[in-house]
Order: sequence, then C-alpha cells, then structure tokens
Amino acid sequence: MVIAEVKPLAEILELIKQYKRVLNTGCGGCTAVCLAGGQKEVDTLNTKLELSCREQKIPLEISGFTVERQCDMQFNAELDHLVASYDALLSMACGAGVQFLAERYPDKPVLPAVNTTFVGVNKDIGWYEERCQSCGDCVLGITGGICPVTMCAKSLFNGPCGGPQDGHCEVDTDTPCAWINIYERLKAQGRLDNILKVFPAREWQNQTQGKLLLEDYKHRYVKETK
Amino acid sequence: MPAGQRKPVDTKKIKALLDQHKGKIQVSLAACASCSLCAESCFLYMGNNRDPHYMPSYKWISSLGTIYRKRGNVDSTFLEKTQDRIWKNCVLCMRCYCPFGIDIPGLIALARGMYRSQGFYGMYPYTAGAPEACGSYTTDESSTQEPGTAGAGTGK
Amino acid sequence: MYELARGPLMWAATVIFLAGIVYRSIQLYLLTGKKERVLYTATPVKPKDRTPEERKMDFIIAFRHSLLGTHPIMAIISTVFHTFIFIIPIFLLGHNLLIYESWGISLFSLPDGLCDTLTAIFVLIGLFFLLRRLIVPQVRIISTAYDYLVLAITVAPFLTGFFAYHQWFDYKTVIIIHMLVGELMLITIPFTKIGHMVFFFFVRILIGSEHSFWRGSRTW
Repeated sequence: MVIAEVKPLAEILELIKQYKRVLNTGCGGCTAVCLAGGQKEVDTLNTKLELSCREQKIPLEISGFTVERQCDMQFNAELDHLVASYDALLSMACGAGVQFLAERYPDKPVLPAVNTTFVGVNKDIGWYEERCQSCGDCVLGITGGICPVTMCAKSLFNGPCGGPQDGHCEVDTDTPCAWINIYERLKAQGRLDNILKVFPAREWQNQTQGKLLLEDYKHRYVKETK
Repeated sequence: MPAGQRKPVDTKKIKALLDQHKGKIQVSLAACASCSLCAESCFLYMGNNRDPHYMPSYKWISSLGTIYRKRGNVDSTFLEKTQDRIWKNCVLCMRCYCPFGIDIPGLIALARGMYRSQGFYGMYPYTAGAPEACGSYTTDESSTQEPGTAGAGTGK
Repeated sequence: MYELARGPLMWAATVIFLAGIVYRSIQLYLLTGKKERVLYTATPVKPKDRTPEERKMDFIIAFRHSLLGTHPIMAIISTVFHTFIFIIPIFLLGHNLLIYESWGISLFSLPDGLCDTLTAIFVLIGLFFLLRRLIVPQVRIISTAYDYLVLAITVAPFLTGFFAYHQWFDYKTVIIIHMLVGELMLITIPFTKIGHMVFFFFVRILIGSEHSFWRGSRTW
C-alpha cells in the first residue's frame, strides 16, 4: 500500500492559518491503514490544530470527514454537500488523493496534511518498509523476488556495485545489499542462470506521469481519444 | 447475478473453514458483550449518519457470526442478503476499536474468505442501493465514463 | 431447599466457576501460538524527547480517544457497575456472616446502609443498560434475546438480594431464589458472554493492532 506520514504540526499550521473554516478530509484507504490519515488521525490532527490555534490566537474552525478513498471520485463526491461552506480543504490522503480532491473542487485550496513516502509493506505495527517504486517494468520474476530498483540504492540491473561491505550497502550500512540477497536467493533456488545475461539499459518510464489502462477496459475509452 | 443462476452453497467448504477457525470465532462471539462501543471508531459509520448497519460488530456478527451459529447451514439467499455487510460496508482499514480487543477486521477478513469461496465477492463499483453514487462523475470536457455502464462487472 | 442452596449447590457453583475460568484460560492459551516476530535489525531509532507541551498534547489526545473521552457517561457508568459487581457481594455483612458461621473467618464488611444504596444504584444501572439496549439503535441492532438474558442473570442476584434485605415478599422464598440466581450467575460466568470477565484480560494480547497489549504477543 501507499505509505504516508503526518507532516509536522507547524508546517500544517503554516499552510492553513490564512483560512478561517477548514475541512480536514481523511482517507479510509492506505493512509488509514498506515496510521497516517484515517478517521482517528483526522480527529487527532484537528485537536492539535484547535489547541495550537487557541494558544496562538488564530481564529480557526476545523471539522473532519473521512471518505472511503480519495483516489476515487465516487467517494470524493460524498463531500459535495459539505465543501461549499469551507474556505479550504486539508487532505490526509496520499499525494494522489490530494490531487484528485483538488481536481474535484478546483475553486478551493486543497492542502496536504501528510507526506507521501513510498509504496511499502506493513512489517509490524507502525513499521513500514518500501518495496516498490512502481517503475512500470517489473523484473522480480528474474531477480528472485527482490527488487533491484527499490532495494538497491543505485537501482543497478547487473549485479552489485563495488561498494557492498559484509553484505551491506555502502550508501546505508543498515540496508543489506540487494544484489547479494538476489544472488543468494537465486543460488538457493538453483536459478542463478537468470542473472548471467546482461540487462540492457532501462527505459525509465516513471520519468513521466504513470498511467495504467487495463486491457479489458480499454474499449471503454478508445472512442474518446479518436 | 439472478438468484436462479447461483450455484448451490457448498456447506462442506463453509464448515471446513468454520472448523479451521472455530476457536477464534467462538471466543470472539463469547467475548462480545454487544456494547456497541466500537461504532464510533468506524469512519464509514460516522460518515453514513451513524447508520448502525456500519457498526463493526454488526458487520461480522450478522454475517460470520450467524453462519457460525447456524453451523454453516446457510443458503445462497442468506449469503446474497448479507454480503454487502462485509464487502461494501467495510474497507478493512483495520482501525476499529473493541474494548475487549476482539480482532474485528480479522473476523471480517475471515468472513470475506468464506463468502468468496461461494462466489460472493465484492463487486466494484457498488451500485446496489446507491444509484447516484456511481457514474455521476464527469469532468468538464468529456465524460470518460458513461453513466449506466459504471455498474458493469456486477453482471459478469 | 435452603440448606441445599446454601451447601452443596454453593460448593458446586464455586467449583464450576473457578474450574470454568481455568478452563477458559487454558483454552485460550492452547488455541493460540506465539506470534512471529520481525526483528528490527537496522540501527535502533530513539524516539525524540517530548517537550512538556507535546506531552500535554499527547495526554489530551489519548484521553479524547479513550472511552472516557468518547463515551464519558457510558465509561463511568460501566466502571461503577463493574466495580460494584465485585464490591457488593464480597463486602456485604450478610455474606460475611455466613462465611464466619461456616469457617470462623470473615472479611472486612461495609455498613449495611451503604451496601443497600450501592445495590440500588447497581440495579438502576442494570435498568439503564436495559433501556440503552432497547432504545439506542446501534445497540439494539446487535442485541439478541441472549444479551437480555445475560443482563437479567447479572442483575437478578442483586435485585433479589435487595428484596431479601428489605424483607419484601416472602423472605424465605426470596432468599432461596437469591441464592439460586447467584449460583446461576457464578456458573454461567465462564460459559456465556459474562465470560468477558476472563476474555477482557486475554483478548487484547491476541490482536496485532494499535490497541493491543504487549505488542500482541500471541496469535491465533
């Protein structure tokens, strides 16, 4: 899922202090699961903002509403009847959700309350790790289920660089070297021939905005593009 | 899918799943004091005018709980009637709070597995009961989504 | 009947009650296993030191999200109810006299008048729970006959005890009913929803979420 973390309070305050009535919108999707932007975090943030504003004598009326997922217009539509009476929206969804919300209400400032960090996994409560950079050209089938794009600091495709020490990355000594892990897993599975051939240079598709149209659904949109 | 086309419910499969998780379901049912204090922790409950059908405990007790009490002897009408409670009414954000610590999301996930094994799975977008919610979104220039086709997928 | 209820039945109820609690605890232990731990191998990160203001904020937020913050009335009433359910029967003078007669020892006793008031409050709270179950929609929707029965079993010993103390109705009959329903409650604790007396302490170890105790150290 998409992992995010709440911005520092001072930064959020700076973003919203010029608005009087603010609606804090939570997201029941990924950011709720990673304890960053669900209903409870909306409540928590609103309480913090209220208290700080009272202390600093900033007039602020803030309320909260959590929708199922902000990356889906169907659910953002639930806010339609609320939005009009607010000066600005604060969003606790990932960057995608914030933008989609801003798209729905182009005349309202939509401000992010969380920093979207990565696509990751839930290792344990409150502990998340990046696993995917959504590069759009998955090689996990060859690399033994370990992603060289994400797990290697240099996103190398043809074996480790000269830097790993005791199996650890030279960029961050806490991180195990992805390529040593790939080698060991493939060796254990007897699939070492997978990485014998040289990978050609990569077309970095994620340099442009990612878009995905599922094959089965293409027919719906073809006539629109002409 | 019209009721007539449904395959009969494979109660053996349901019973096997119930047996596999018997302890958890039994203890959770016994531990629930029906206090309803989990309600406010569900954002869907809060966002739907406090409709009690969105209450976390209701969602799993009225689906998985009932199946357990009936020892797996349920028909497709029951599953069809109750499927929304665990699919449409829950996003499995795992944030519900139970004073007794019952693992409500775990039980809803268990219920989902059981319903899925009988061919009842979440069909998206959810059109039933919310005709305006789907297909009403249009951008200024062109509609990328035809109203009315938004429900496709429900018939497949 | 009186002798039967006071002697063998009371013993049976106590034994079943204690054995039931032990059985439930063992059952919970056997049904579960140790949770797989993922070790955090990277350099340990120390949480930042909280400033006094931050700590105050943390407390306010923790409080607001606690049951006391979200359901203050229910939280207080429920705490009172659960405290009384232990205090009243254990420290009641009449009960302690019976224990003294049998074994020659006795616990500290509360004054009768106080116990009487506490019992009245207890029964009123029971009535509040009943009305809440009947009126509040989200409680009503999950309430079954079973829930009402459990509430009745819980309140009945106190109600009949109250009647007995005031010698309303036929004392002899009321006191026998009082003993029988009290024993019924003891017996049903481990095997019904009142079993949350046991589960309350165990179930939270079993969930791996923000609400768990001991990091949810056991799992199903």
